[in-house]
Amino acid sequence: MTHEATQITSPTKPSEILLHLGPQHPLQPGPFLLDLKIEGETIKEAELKIGYIHKGMEKVFEDRTYIQILPLADRICYLASNSNNDVYCRGVEELLGIEPTERAKYLRVITNELCRIQSHLLGIGEYTTDVGFLTMFLYMIREREGVVSLLEAITGSRLNHNYARFGGVANDLPPGYKEMALKTFGELKKQIKSHDELLSSDSIYLSRTKGVGVLTAKQASELGVAGPPLRASGVEYDLRRIEPYLVYDDLDFKVITQTDGDVFSRVKVRLLEILESIYIIEQCLDQIPSGPYKQDVMPYITRPKPGEVYSRIEDPRGEMGMYIISDGSDKPYRFRIRGPAFATAQALPPLLIGSYVADVAAIAASMDSCTSEVDR
Amino acid sequence: MGDEQAAKQIIDKNIMIELSNNFPNVVSDVDVPSPNRAVARIDSSQVKEIMQFLLDKGFDHLSCISGVDYPPDKMEVVYHVTSYSGPLVITLKASIPRDDPNIDSLCDIYWNANWYERETYELYGIIFNDCPYLKVLLLPEDMEGEWPLRKDYAGYPNPT
Amino acid sequence: MGFLDTIMNYLVIIFASNQFAPWIRGVLGGLVIGGVFGGALVMVYLERKFLGDIQSRIGPNRVGGRFGLLQLIADAIKLFTKEDIIPARADKWLFIGAPIVALTSGFLMVAVLPFDLLVIKGNEYAVAVSRMDVSILYLEAVSGLAIFGLFMAGWGSGSKYSLLAGFRNIAKMIGYEVPLGVSIISVAVMAHSLDIVEIVKAQSSIWFIIAQPLGFIIFGIALLADLGRIPFDQTEAEEELIAGWATEYSGMRWGLAFFAEYFHAVVGALIVSLIFLGGWNGLPFVGNLGIPGIIWVLIKTIMVIMLLIWIRGALPRLRIDQVSDLGWKVLLPLALLNLVWATIIGLMWA
Repeated sequence: MTHEATQITSPTKPSEILLHLGPQHPLQPGPFLLDLKIEGETIKEAELKIGYIHKGMEKVFEDRTYIQILPLADRICYLASNSNNDVYCRGVEELLGIEPTERAKYLRVITNELCRIQSHLLGIGEYTTDVGFLTMFLYMIREREGVVSLLEAITGSRLNHNYARFGGVANDLPPGYKEMALKTFGELKKQIKSHDELLSSDSIYLSRTKGVGVLTAKQASELGVAGPPLRASGVEYDLRRIEPYLVYDDLDFKVITQTDGDVFSRVKVRLLEILESIYIIEQCLDQIPSGPYKQDVMPYITRPKPGEVYSRIEDPRGEMGMYIISDGSDKPYRFRIRGPAFATAQALPPLLIGSYVADVAAIAASMDSCTSEVDR
Repeated sequence: MGDEQAAKQIIDKNIMIELSNNFPNVVSDVDVPSPNRAVARIDSSQVKEIMQFLLDKGFDHLSCISGVDYPPDKMEVVYHVTSYSGPLVITLKASIPRDDPNIDSLCDIYWNANWYERETYELYGIIFNDCPYLKVLLLPEDMEGEWPLRKDYAGYPNPT
Repeated sequence: MGFLDTIMNYLVIIFASNQFAPWIRGVLGGLVIGGVFGGALVMVYLERKFLGDIQSRIGPNRVGGRFGLLQLIADAIKLFTKEDIIPARADKWLFIGAPIVALTSGFLMVAVLPFDLLVIKGNEYAVAVSRMDVSILYLEAVSGLAIFGLFMAGWGSGSKYSLLAGFRNIAKMIGYEVPLGVSIISVAVMAHSLDIVEIVKAQSSIWFIIAQPLGFIIFGIALLADLGRIPFDQTEAEEELIAGWATEYSGMRWGLAFFAEYFHAVVGALIVSLIFLGGWNGLPFVGNLGIPGIIWVLIKTIMVIMLLIWIRGALPRLRIDQVSDLGWKVLLPLALLNLVWATIIGLMWA
C-alpha cells in the first residue's frame, strides 16, 4: 500500500468536491479534520489531520516527578483511564524492582476489566448513533451506569479513576461488593445478549454494516492496527494471552475473533468481549486472596535506578505501550506514550478509499478512536 | 501448543544472536534483560537492512518510533519492533549526530512508520530521508522548525 | 331534531346571511390553520415525550410542571430571540424563501382536508375549507411543492453540506413520489371518485386498510420517505452532513423549517386516517357509536402519529443508495400490483 491516496490534492474535474468533516462535527469523539475528495458519493482520497488538542504531554511529563505523573497518566484517554494507569505503574515498578502484592494484582485486573466494559459500551453507543440508531446509544448509556457505579464503589470517582499505586492499589474492596457486582452483572448479561440479538437481526442495520469497510487480516497487519479491529479480521492477537501480565495466566478466558473484518464484526467483537470481561471479573472475585493491598513502606520520593522499560497492556482500543527512560533522578528523562488510537487513526484513511460518503461515519466510529489519545 | 512454545523460545534467544551474526560491525551492546525484551544498539546507516531482516524473520509489527535527545552531541532514534505471533519486543537504538540529524525512513518496509516519523521529525528535527510527506502532524504549521521536545527548548514562543 | 334545526338556523345566519359573513368565514379558515398548527405543536411535544419513553429516558419535565408542557413555548421564545444570520455566499431570496415555500405547501394541503361530514335536512355539509371534486389530485400536486422548498434551501445556502443534502433529497423524493401517487390512485379507483369525502364515504362498512393492505404499506413507506423521517432522514443525517439542508439556518428561520416538517407529518397522518383508516366513520361494520366523527378523525390521526414516532425510535437509517433501490426496485412494482388488485376489487364492488 502506498501513501499517495492519503494526501489530498485539489480537485481536477468539475465533478469532484472537497469535503471537510471537522474539526467540529457531530460524528466525532474529539476534534480532527478529515478531508475527503469525493466524486458523486464515492471517496477518492482521504486525509486525516490531527493535532487540535495536542497538549504536549510528553514534554510536560519530563518535568514532573513520578508520583505527580500518576494522576496525569490517567487522563491520556479518559475512557480507558484504568489501563493507562496500570501500564504506567507496571513500568515504574519494573524500574524500581518491586512487584505489586497478590491481592493488588487481582484488584487491578478487576478494575481493568470494568474499565474495558464501560469503554466498549460507550464505543458501541457512539457507533450506533452514527448509523442512525439513536435508541441503542441510550440503552448503552443506561447499561453503562451500572458499571460506572461499580467502579465508583471501589475507586471513588466515575471517570478518571487514578486507582493503581506503585506496589499496590489505593483502596480495598468495600464490604458487600461481590453481591452488588454479581447482581449488576446478571442484569448486564441479559441486556447485552438481547442487544446482540437485536443488532444481528435488524435488516436495515445488517444492510448498512455487512461488507462495509472490510479490513483483511493481511491489510490489518500491514497497517499496524491492534485490538478489536484486528481481532475482527481473524488475527488472534490479545496481549492478555500473548504476554500475560498481572494474573491473566491464572484466569480462563477466550480471545474473541471474527472472520469477516467488516463493521459488523468489529462491533460484535466488542459486544462479546463485554461478556468475556464479566466472566473474568467473576473468576477474580472468587479467587481473590486476602492480604495487604499495598506495600507496607513506600518511599515518598521515587528515585528509580538508571535504566529503561517498555511496558505494554491490552487497552480496550488496542495495544498501549509506555517507554520510560530514567536517569536516576526523581523525574523521567524521556517518557514516550505509544497510544493504540494513534495506530487505528493512521489506518483510517486507506480504509475509507473507495467507499461511500454515507459510510464514513459508520467506518470511523467502528474503529473507535479517542482523539485525546491520538493527540496527547 | 508445544511447537508454538518452541517457536517462541527460538524467536527469543536466537534472534539476537542471528542479528549480531548477520550484521557484525553494526549491531552492538546486545542485551536480553528479561524473557520478553531485547535491546540492541545499531548503526544508523544500516537501519533499512536490519529492519528488512527482522521483517523477514517474522517481526511484522512496528510498535513505535521515538526520539531521545542527549545534548550536547547526539540524538537517538529508538525503534520498538514486535511480532503478531509472539511476545518478544526488540528495542533498537540508533545514534545520530545532533547538528545534522538524519536517518533513513522505514516507510517502504513498514507502512505505519509514516506518522511516527512525522511526529519525531516535528518534535526533534530529525530528517527521515525518503519519507513521503514529511510534514507536521501534531503541531500547527507555524511551529515547524521549533523542535519543542529538545532539551534546550526555551518555551513557546521562543524557538530552540 | 328541533334543537338541531335551531342550531342550523343560527349557523346559517352567522356564516351565510349577514354582511360580515365573509370575514367570519375568513376567521374560521385562520382558526382551522391555527388548529392544525396546534396539532403540529402537540406532535412535537408528543414526539419528545414518547421517543424519550422508548429510549428509556424522561423527556422534557422541567418547564411548566412535571410534564414539561410549556417546553415548546420556551423553545419558541428562544428561537425568536436568536440572531438571524444569512451566509455571505447564500442566494438571499432562495434562502429566505425556502422555509416559506415548505410551510406554504402544508397550508395549501389543509385547504381540502375534511374533518367530518354533517348530514342536515338531507344536505351534505363537509367540515372542510373547500370541497373539490378532485381534492386528492390537488393534494398530490401540492405536496410536490415541498420538494421545491427543500431544494431551494439546499442550493441557496451556499454550503457544500446543504448542496449534497439537496441532491440526496431530490433523488429520494422523486423516487418516492411515484409509488405515493400510484397508491393514491388505487384508493381512488376503489372508491370510484377523486373526492376525499367520497373516498371516506366508501369506507362506511370496511376500511381500505383491510381492502388494500399492500396499498397501506406502500403509502406508509412512501409517506415516511416524503416526510424525511427515520429510516429515511438521510438529508438531515446529523452524523454525515451536520444538519443537511437546514445547516445554515438559525433562529426563527430554522424554527420555520423544522416546523414545516412536523406540519407535513400531521397533515400526512390526517391523510392516512382519512383514506385508509375510515376517517369519521368510526369502527368498521359498527359505525359511529354515537361519538362525533371529528373525534374519530383526531383519534386515528394521533394513533398514526404515534406509529410514526415509534418507527423513528426503533429503526436505524438507510443509506442513500439503498433508499433509491427500495423506491424504484421494490415499491414501484408493488404499487402497480396493488393498482391491479384495487381495480379488480373496485369493479367487484361497483
